[in-house]
Amino acid sequence: MAINQVQSIKDSLKNKIRPAEDVVFKEFHTKEKYIEALYIKTISDETIIQDKLLKPFFEISSPDLFLDYLQSSPLVISFESEQKSLDEVIKGTAILFYQNSIFLFDSKVDRNNSVLDTTVETTIQGPQSGFSESLPTNLGLIRKRYPQTSLNVESTTVGTVSKTDVMIIHDAMRADPDTVTRIKQFLASIDVHMFQTGEQLLDIIKKSNRALVPVMLVTERPDRVAVNLAAGKIIILVSGSPFAVVLPTVMKDFMSSMEDIYQTYWVTKFLQILRYIGFLTSLVLPGLYVAVTSYNPELFRVQLALSIAGSRMSVPYPSFIEVLLMLFMMEMLTEASIRLPKAIGPTATTVGGLILGQAATEAGLVSNIMIIITSSVAISNFVIPINAFSFTLRIMKYFVLALGTLFGLVGVVVGFFMLIAYMVKLDSFGEPFLTLIQSKPSKE
Amino acid sequence: MNRYYLYLVLLNMLANVIIFVPKILIEYRYKGAVMGILIAVPIGIVLNYFYTKTITKFPEQGLPEITADSKHRWLKILHLGGFQIIWFSAGLITLIGFIDILSRFVNPEMPKLSLLAIYLAAIFLIIQLPTDRVMYILEIVLFLNLPLIGFIIFKAFTNEFLSWDSILEVGTHIFERPSLKSIAAATYCFSGYANLIIFNRVIKGKLKNWNLIVIFFLGLVNLFTTFLIPIGFHGSDGAQQYLYPWISTSDSLRLTYSPIERVIFLFLMFYMSITLISVSVHWHIAFELLKGTFKEKVSNKKNWLVLASFAGCSIVGVIFLNALLLDKLTVYWMIVRLGFEIILVGSFFFWARRRTT
Repeated sequence: MAINQVQSIKDSLKNKIRPAEDVVFKEFHTKEKYIEALYIKTISDETIIQDKLLKPFFEISSPDLFLDYLQSSPLVISFESEQKSLDEVIKGTAILFYQNSIFLFDSKVDRNNSVLDTTVETTIQGPQSGFSESLPTNLGLIRKRYPQTSLNVESTTVGTVSKTDVMIIHDAMRADPDTVTRIKQFLASIDVHMFQTGEQLLDIIKKSNRALVPVMLVTERPDRVAVNLAAGKIIILVSGSPFAVVLPTVMKDFMSSMEDIYQTYWVTKFLQILRYIGFLTSLVLPGLYVAVTSYNPELFRVQLALSIAGSRMSVPYPSFIEVLLMLFMMEMLTEASIRLPKAIGPTATTVGGLILGQAATEAGLVSNIMIIITSSVAISNFVIPINAFSFTLRIMKYFVLALGTLFGLVGVVVGFFMLIAYMVKLDSFGEPFLTLIQSKPSKE
Repeated sequence: MNRYYLYLVLLNMLANVIIFVPKILIEYRYKGAVMGILIAVPIGIVLNYFYTKTITKFPEQGLPEITADSKHRWLKILHLGGFQIIWFSAGLITLIGFIDILSRFVNPEMPKLSLLAIYLAAIFLIIQLPTDRVMYILEIVLFLNLPLIGFIIFKAFTNEFLSWDSILEVGTHIFERPSLKSIAAATYCFSGYANLIIFNRVIKGKLKNWNLIVIFFLGLVNLFTTFLIPIGFHGSDGAQQYLYPWISTSDSLRLTYSPIERVIFLFLMFYMSITLISVSVHWHIAFELLKGTFKEKVSNKKNWLVLASFAGCSIVGVIFLNALLLDKLTVYWMIVRLGFEIILVGSFFFWARRRTT
């Protein structure tokens, strides 16, 4: 490269980066040679610069030998274009101007690389640690759990402003190549300003940006990622987020916990059935209550029908208002207990759940049976192991409730199957979201 | 994918309760219904055999794709148009019949049209899905419901009030001259194979012959259950007096220890989903065949037009057809259907044979 060219690039780079407290442009001199470096010190690791750049610079006296050192160092990438260099600088890379060449020196600081404990998908047994918030550390965690040479890692950036690093990881031997290209196309087509975490993809995947059911699984567990890699799934890691995205995802994945592997066969089967029953209960029970009390009280045997009607005796309004009232309170409680500091959390649940429920029945605002139904709906909602899906379930039950209110028993049954049909309609990168027998993708 | 084929046949067998098959059979119980059933079984099996044999030659293709390059335009129109009308009306009868049942037994105070509205909403959601997805829904519905129907049938057979004498009495009329109406009604249980006209798209691999044996036994058991259990409960004379013999039969059953004491509610909830998917399957076929008759690709507007006409037909049907009239119409519809099926299976068989050789 000619001298004036280097000079012009240097000037233009300096112009484009606004002067800030942490932007460093410095020259280093020895008797025989000098080097210039441009970096942002808050996002660069100055110890790396010190150890890997300055020390050799002052130790190697010959200019040519130092050029050789730079060219062969694994941290150094050669200059490609001005825009790329700018992109790299704002991520923590240092730009070096030495003699007639320009180098990019990888001095990114790796913060937040401590491995976090799992807090969302907890298990009793099995591995307890999750991902960290640093991309290289996360990749390392996956590699450690999945020691296969066929592991393929590609990297790209998403977000017009945030320019977030995103890694696409798959096992080349197991993953379906069509799905991989489809996912790459999808990532390339994303048009958002700020991309912070993989959960954002849940909405972006829909053309309307409005999704109800998540069609990808967001997990914080490296062991789940490793298991899914072995099953031929594709993983997306996002820089700065301790969550990995697993694609393609079907409903069965949302209903499975990592503990399924760590338990004995029959325990696992039992727990899985329990989860599906929980799913059904949470979805159908509020609507069913309205349908049975307001439309078809003769559905139950006489004693039960009478005791339901008896407990509703003091309630002065129709059952659907009662249900809405209680569900609304329950949603409030759930929301509040997420926001509250951990120390006050139990108080809120006690006050809200126990005292309020008790008082509401005694005041004749809601029936006793309604309290039981509300709490069983709430509890069975949280049986779903994956948080994103349990949130979806929270909303879906209102659909069944609305149809149950309007059409009675027919509404509940048809509404339930409409939701099933909706979920069957969905697909996650070419794989149907819900089928009875979820066959593994076959590869010939 | 032999199981998909069995699902389709099984669906028709289950839906026969709504489409007046037991009513028709019981009406002719002294006039040849038993013999009619016995004759209907071989007819059904033969039709099944020829149709599956023929359609297996065109793997993973529905009729619109098979006939896409056919020169016999009249044959194509006969097939596509004929089946369209047959399957659309099958769905329509099932739907109107079931709406009537619902308004009689579940929501007597609700206008029939609002019951129809929710059914149409769900059906339109399903029929617009791709064929394989409709199949997945069918599979899920059957999976959720089959244990229930098995339980109900078990309860019915083991009930102490089931009068075997009445059943045997009807059995003594076995050598009566069979009536065409009862044969036609009984063959409906086997005509699930005709769903393959579109659903062959999702069937991979050859349909094996053991399917026919399964269908033979299922059909026999199914027909005699549909026919004889109501007779056993209500007596050989009394059974005739019910418009919906099976609904009334299920109301005679009682679960002593269950919170839901009356089986009729279990039964109706089970049939809510079976009817939903049965109508959806039939109308999905009508819808796809209609798409197939158009030469160019069907636009969104045309789609909505078709759906609106479906909705219009069912609204008119619900308003103008009461259950008795529907019952009478269904008897003749069954005969027309049987004739049509035989013509279609035959012509398709010979057409395919000439084409492949």
